[in-house]
Amino acid sequence: MTDSVSAKPDDSALVRVRGLTTVLNGKKVFDALDMDIPRGKITAIMGPSGTGKTTLLKHITGQMRGSAGEVWVDGQNVPKLSRDKLFELRERIGYLFQNSALLTDFDVFENVAFPLRQHTQLPEVLIRNIVLTKLQAVGLRGAAGLMPSELSGGMARRVALARSIVFDPMLILYDEPFVGLDPIALNQVLKLIRTLNQTLGITSVLVAHELEAIKQVADHIYLIANGKVVAQGDPKTIADDGSPWTRQFFGGEADGPVPFQYPAGDLGVSLGFPGRGA
Amino acid sequence: MSQRPSYAVGTGLFIVLGFTALGYLATQTTSVANTSRGPSYTVEAHFANIGQLKERAPVKVAGVRVGQVQSIVLDPGKETADVKLAIDNRYSQIPDDSVATIFTSGLLGDQYVGIQYGNSKKAVADGGTLALTRPAQQLEEMLGKFFGAGGSADNLSGSYQVKARFTNVGALSVGAPVKMAGVAIGSVQSVKADPVKLDAEVALSIDKKYSQIPDDSAAAVFTSGLIGTQYVAIQPGGSPDMLKDGDELVLTQSALQIEDLIGKFLVSGSSSDKKDASSSKADTGSKH
Amino acid sequence: MSATMSRDNIVLRSLTQIGECGLFLLRMLAAVPRSLRHIRETVRQLWFVGAMSLIIIMVCGLFVGMVLGLQLYDVLSIFGGTSATGTVVAIAIYRELGPVVTALLFAGRAGTSVTAEIGLMRATDQIAAMEMMAVDPIAYVAVPRFLAGIVAMPLLCCVFCALGIFGGHLVGVTWLGIDNGTFWSNMTATVEVVKDVINGVLWKSVVFGTVVSLIAVFQGYTTPPTSEGVAYATTRTVVASSIAILALDFVLTAFLM
Repeated sequence: MTDSVSAKPDDSALVRVRGLTTVLNGKKVFDALDMDIPRGKITAIMGPSGTGKTTLLKHITGQMRGSAGEVWVDGQNVPKLSRDKLFELRERIGYLFQNSALLTDFDVFENVAFPLRQHTQLPEVLIRNIVLTKLQAVGLRGAAGLMPSELSGGMARRVALARSIVFDPMLILYDEPFVGLDPIALNQVLKLIRTLNQTLGITSVLVAHELEAIKQVADHIYLIANGKVVAQGDPKTIADDGSPWTRQFFGGEADGPVPFQYPAGDLGVSLGFPGRGA
Repeated sequence: MSQRPSYAVGTGLFIVLGFTALGYLATQTTSVANTSRGPSYTVEAHFANIGQLKERAPVKVAGVRVGQVQSIVLDPGKETADVKLAIDNRYSQIPDDSVATIFTSGLLGDQYVGIQYGNSKKAVADGGTLALTRPAQQLEEMLGKFFGAGGSADNLSGSYQVKARFTNVGALSVGAPVKMAGVAIGSVQSVKADPVKLDAEVALSIDKKYSQIPDDSAAAVFTSGLIGTQYVAIQPGGSPDMLKDGDELVLTQSALQIEDLIGKFLVSGSSSDKKDASSSKADTGSKH
Repeated sequence: MSATMSRDNIVLRSLTQIGECGLFLLRMLAAVPRSLRHIRETVRQLWFVGAMSLIIIMVCGLFVGMVLGLQLYDVLSIFGGTSATGTVVAIAIYRELGPVVTALLFAGRAGTSVTAEIGLMRATDQIAAMEMMAVDPIAYVAVPRFLAGIVAMPLLCCVFCALGIFGGHLVGVTWLGIDNGTFWSNMTATVEVVKDVINGVLWKSVVFGTVVSLIAVFQGYTTPPTSEGVAYATTRTVVASSIAILALDFVLTAFLM
């Protein structure tokens, strides 16, 4: 998988993960994980629940640090960055939280304006222009005066998206952007992701389970399980891959490499029948 | 900011309110409120005893505040306290032969300097001295004149019983001291109402050491101080015979109720003032 | 999870909490310069923790003063000293009741809401979102609330005391008939600025405000981001604040006397 990408930092890969190993609560989440996220493309990361997809995003943004390995983002090794450098980097990364994470104290307008107010001294007129443009892009200019509690889940996610693109970032990380959305809202978000990628050239990383949706937008898919990349490629190749992982994951089979049973002792022993098989 | 005014105004109001309250507490409810503002002049007075007088205590004329005590220092070489009084310039007509006295406001209150005007035509000037002063009356001294020093009964090695009858024991309780010349010689053993004679029978237990008490001695119920507990005082008589166990003291003086005392004083005072005062007529009439 | 842990070793757990709380205080103090950029947020928090607590403080202050007036009049009338009611009401409120009751009410009203708010901000990823927007949440969320608490508490305490005096005056003078002049003159003759107002009202309330805000912010910030964790954290805020207030009150009184 790494044959096409060399070690030069300024090549086509915007995010480059090398040998990432993370242990959380005694459980090995990543085991020498390697991954490259190409510039200007939409990359989807898929995998069974609990394999650490969200954790991987947190490594990219420096919210978590692995026990070993490197995470290069735009030529900077994230785990080694100082706090100030990290904050500088984060200003160029948009992050869409699973539950939108809008600031409940502020209305929609102020939520989108929040990063601008914190990091710039722009005049009010300019802030207003930028915010309304971004809200227009997600189709919610009319909702500028609403409070987050008055928004539906889909609207809240679009507001959060507007907030994460307010600085025109180089990279947007979407953490489960489709969860809990009705088909209409799902398609709206899907359309936004594609538009943002195509019109602004923003590199996008998607963590999601919705295979149909991902097939429509993703340029590249990583399937991770047991702390390693088990399959990768464009949507078509990966669907035809035929490995046990892809078969179980995309076929939705209950049992396979991902066991149905959570690891446990012998059932017979648990039920109190010593010496007998379950 | 779009929602700036809503909370900014409220927060500002809150801060102003808080500081107003602080200013109010600090200036209106504390001794700062008593500090005289405006110009004042200083007058000296020398007292033999200032009692509990403190700096910033009020200076009053006819009960009205005219200034405050500025400083209290002991005169070097003399046994008098040099008190400087700061008096408001408004009250510049104080005669120079006025008398400065240290009074106590109420029985438990703070002390202040009262000035009683003299007859001189000359007013005391800034830096002048009020030569006529009266020192503070010590409540303890006054009371000490009436009652001897207090003190509780010693452990009784052995005692004998004496009875006394009172028409009124006031708030006398069992265990109260029995004193002679202010020294505790025993304690009250029981206080009982006599159903036949309709008075109080008090049993006194007196230490054997004090067996030389004449049998015509008088017993009285006294109060230690103004709000203190009551005790039985024994005033020795002149009889050659001594009290024995089981004897009874015939001469007794019942507890004086402070209300009675004050009442008598007030009534006699008012009736002597004006005989035709309609309110006191009933009282004086009943006395005749 | 925290409930089962708390039964393990309450002493060890309390010590850990106190230690973490101290470290958190250091983190906040280090972030104070950075949070000066968010001064507007501090003002906004002053509105929430201070101005919003004003009603309860005023009502309680009034009633505390009234009940003090009533009780003291009752007791002092035994000695014929009802004229001292104003003095005793003022001293009791300034030295003890004002700072302590205000701090307890403040912990219950503002402390819990700060804890719950920060806890919910964690639970709904708002804190993480700020991190991602390159905004330091300690400087933006924790410090403004902490500072607002320190500023608000003395102001609230002054209001409480003023209303308490007013309540005592209402009962003593208006209802029970103590002479108005006596009430005030005895009070002003005895109450001192430094001993009663500065040491009693101001110092104590600044210390209490600091402690209550620290506990509230710390509990909210470190609680597990679940609804259960937030519920536990608010309870702990009230319990820890109350204990801290009363224990510190004794220490402060001993020092400031």
